[in-house]
Amino acid sequence: MNTRVPIVQAILLVLISILIGIGSNIISSKPIPWFAVELAVVENVDTKSEDPILAAITLEQARDFFDESVLFVDARDEGYFEAGHIQGAMQNIFLMELIFNIEEKQSKNTSLVIYCGDPGCGDSEQLAYDLKDLGFTKLYVFKGGWLEWSKAGYPSEVGK
Amino acid sequence: MNYLLNGPVILLARLILGGIFIFASLDKISNPDAFATAIGNYHVMPFGLENLLALILPWLELLSGIFIIAGIMVDGAAIMIIMMNMVFIIAISQALARGISIECGCFSVSSPGEGDNIGLITVIRDIGYLTLAFLVFYRQKYQFEFFPKSV
Repeated sequence: MNTRVPIVQAILLVLISILIGIGSNIISSKPIPWFAVELAVVENVDTKSEDPILAAITLEQARDFFDESVLFVDARDEGYFEAGHIQGAMQNIFLMELIFNIEEKQSKNTSLVIYCGDPGCGDSEQLAYDLKDLGFTKLYVFKGGWLEWSKAGYPSEVGK
Repeated sequence: MNYLLNGPVILLARLILGGIFIFASLDKISNPDAFATAIGNYHVMPFGLENLLALILPWLELLSGIFIIAGIMVDGAAIMIIMMNMVFIIAISQALARGISIECGCFSVSSPGEGDNIGLITVIRDIGYLTLAFLVFYRQKYQFEFFPKSV
């Protein structure tokens, strides 16, 4: 193998990176799954149940939650939030501040709907996992997010 | 043009690129889960491959950055930096073209909501890095290179 050939060097670099990357995840104290898994959608939401839950919900389910005045959290950036968000949704500027704001309104065991931009965005899921780590037990990720909500013409508002 | 491909310009380009790529890798290496989310947001990876990419790409950035500064396999490091920047430019451009509003995930991934959003500036910045990497790859003088040794 001639290490003077540029492409050989490039391939070597990639191989070393693969080895270290995979190796570091094996020995890591907080390994991540090798492949990303999608959050499963719950068929029937049982709000009475005491069991902790972290699941995805559809637009209709999100609307039901909205009608039951469940708190919504917007996981998108400030600019997007101000341009338009689900009516009454709480903004996520800074995680610790968000938790403080939520706990001022309700306990950690009360239902919470989290959403972001569109069905493919991962911020809502990421925030849901963060909140779960911090002790919240009733987390619903509305995958359709702002895109589906605004398309459906459901109640929304602009500004802070 | 010759001046660009010789001496100090190349050394400076190596230092800048190396510094940027090392810096860009650190936060991702310590937060692969957040970086995987950032990649997932671009909607370009099939089969949940963003996790594997989030584990490997930061190391590739770090190694390329270290090697291009340290003079180890500079050609290979320059190729990888060129390829990575091309991929970044394509990924960001398609996201901009589709109008999806996401964070860059370019440097910091551990503190979402800090407003490192993608935009035209991001693309221009990456084209700048790309140009520097091309300069390094087509350099005519091999200075401070230790493996393979400059002849």
